[in-house]
Amino acid sequence: MAFIIWSHELYWKMFAHLFLCLSFSQAYAKFAGAPLKVHKITNPWRSPTGTLPALKTTEESTGSLSKPSNIIIHLRKQKYNADYDLSAKEGADTLAFVSLLEEKLLPALIYTQWVDSKNYVDVTRRWYAENIPFPLNFLLPNRIHNQQLERLRLVRGDPTLEPGEQLEKELYHDALECMTLLSQRLGSHKFFFGDSPSSLDAYVFGHLAPLLKVKLPNGKLQQHLNSLDNLRHYCTNILILYFPSEGGEPPIRKVSVHSDGSDFDSEPHKRRKQILSVLFAMGSMLGYAILMGIVSIQHIRPQAALVGPRHIEEEGEEEE
Amino acid sequence: MSLAVEAFVSQIAAAEPWPENATLYQPLREDQILLSDCASSLAVQAYLRMCNLPVHVSCRSNAEYMSPSGKVPFVHVGNQVVSELGPIVQFTKAKGHSLSDGLDDVQRAEMKAYMELVNNMLLTAELYIQWCDDTTATEISRPRYSSPYSWPLNQILAYQKQWEVRRKMNAIGWAGKSLEQVYEDVSQCCQALSQRLGTQPYFFNKQPTELDALVFGHLFTILTTRLTSDELGEKIKSYSNLLAFCRRIEQSYFEDSQAGSSSRGYSKGPSLF
Repeated sequence: MAFIIWSHELYWKMFAHLFLCLSFSQAYAKFAGAPLKVHKITNPWRSPTGTLPALKTTEESTGSLSKPSNIIIHLRKQKYNADYDLSAKEGADTLAFVSLLEEKLLPALIYTQWVDSKNYVDVTRRWYAENIPFPLNFLLPNRIHNQQLERLRLVRGDPTLEPGEQLEKELYHDALECMTLLSQRLGSHKFFFGDSPSSLDAYVFGHLAPLLKVKLPNGKLQQHLNSLDNLRHYCTNILILYFPSEGGEPPIRKVSVHSDGSDFDSEPHKRRKQILSVLFAMGSMLGYAILMGIVSIQHIRPQAALVGPRHIEEEGEEEE
Repeated sequence: MSLAVEAFVSQIAAAEPWPENATLYQPLREDQILLSDCASSLAVQAYLRMCNLPVHVSCRSNAEYMSPSGKVPFVHVGNQVVSELGPIVQFTKAKGHSLSDGLDDVQRAEMKAYMELVNNMLLTAELYIQWCDDTTATEISRPRYSSPYSWPLNQILAYQKQWEVRRKMNAIGWAGKSLEQVYEDVSQCCQALSQRLGTQPYFFNKQPTELDALVFGHLFTILTTRLTSDELGEKIKSYSNLLAFCRRIEQSYFEDSQAGSSSRGYSKGPSLF
């Protein structure tokens, strides 16, 4: 099975619902021990289903899957089940806590990344624009922003909702309460149900880990999560155990206007862009000059080249 | 309710005791009220009875428009108006009446999670069946919803409500589901509730909480309402402990006014007895 996701630099920087699906599905797969090959690409159009993340299976009948619930069902059919040891009551608890997360935490997470004006402009949109190929980088962020705002309006039943302090307070209030409830439920255990992780762990991890890793200008949710010690240890624990390659330390990307040497390393295309833009500018100036007649190019035969320059100078002077 | 308003209401609420003339408003019982609103209203009534707080039920055709949040039911207590179960629970808590004080942190977290489960799955499924299933919408929901109004207002209001609910279903990803999938979701939700309840009398052992009231409201309404198909009721009946649970609450809290509030249905449907 091959798992196709966004490219590496983007890994911790996008925690839209797309990444939640990703980390949830990937975490679940790792917990269940499913063998996965991970391909990292930047262009969602190149994935087999047209969206990211996507799971490409080796079976002819299943083909490619996109939705996290479908991915989980497929993994379970292949006998990779992380919930095998759960009792009936624990299975019921899983369903309940998943609903709690979806109702209370997810809207706030989406708001903080896509709707909150400061975060969206400073981090999300700029970062999509830099890393996704043309022409998607102009279309995609704006479209997702509008979609999420519309969805918030419909779910809260208020068509005149605008992103602002009021909405933010309400959403964050619910989210903070949800995180506190999770912390109370987790207590001092290693995982939610016993000593081995289950789908609920994958789900909670998928929602909370990006919050821990990505630095946002408006980081109230992050602050609260950091204050809940057991949840923070829980996420770091899972990261170290199951995702060692992604590293324990968050790659903090400072939102700065000045480009220094370190920026150069993180943007391999920068030099190429600079050269291209200089060439383009010179080319257009030259073209304009030729069209206006300020500079003219004349073809002279090789044997006349020796006496050529004087003639060309005289002609150039005459024209001016 | 916004946070500032909530805080303000709690402060005012704490000052006065529960009055005798508290009123609960809902749409007309026989002709107008729909499955989802009926379930929410019954949940609030059950909760208030569990807290021993007297409330008088008043049916108005424009209850939805009177409500501060646009959702029914809402209660008029003293000079405050509070709608929906969540805010009403907080309101009564501010007045010193609470059913979940005896729970520890873990239990409280579980209670909130299960309440979200019911809202997320049962309530959404009820809305789906009412408004997104064409047969039910045409035969039951639209005629009932617009029954107090004359033509052409009844057509306009009914279609407007249907369109609004369908857009919401689209936004949360339920629009692509088929009716069978929705029934399957309801079944899973009931299975989770049944497993959590086990053999206990209430969800958190001996004392009922707001979770019991909410679950009772939804399950009882589904069981006693006649829809185009019986499948929803059958799903619930397959879990015997949930049936026993509903009977127990009906006997304990609704016995005195059985004719008035317990037998609710689109026709005069029987109670669970």
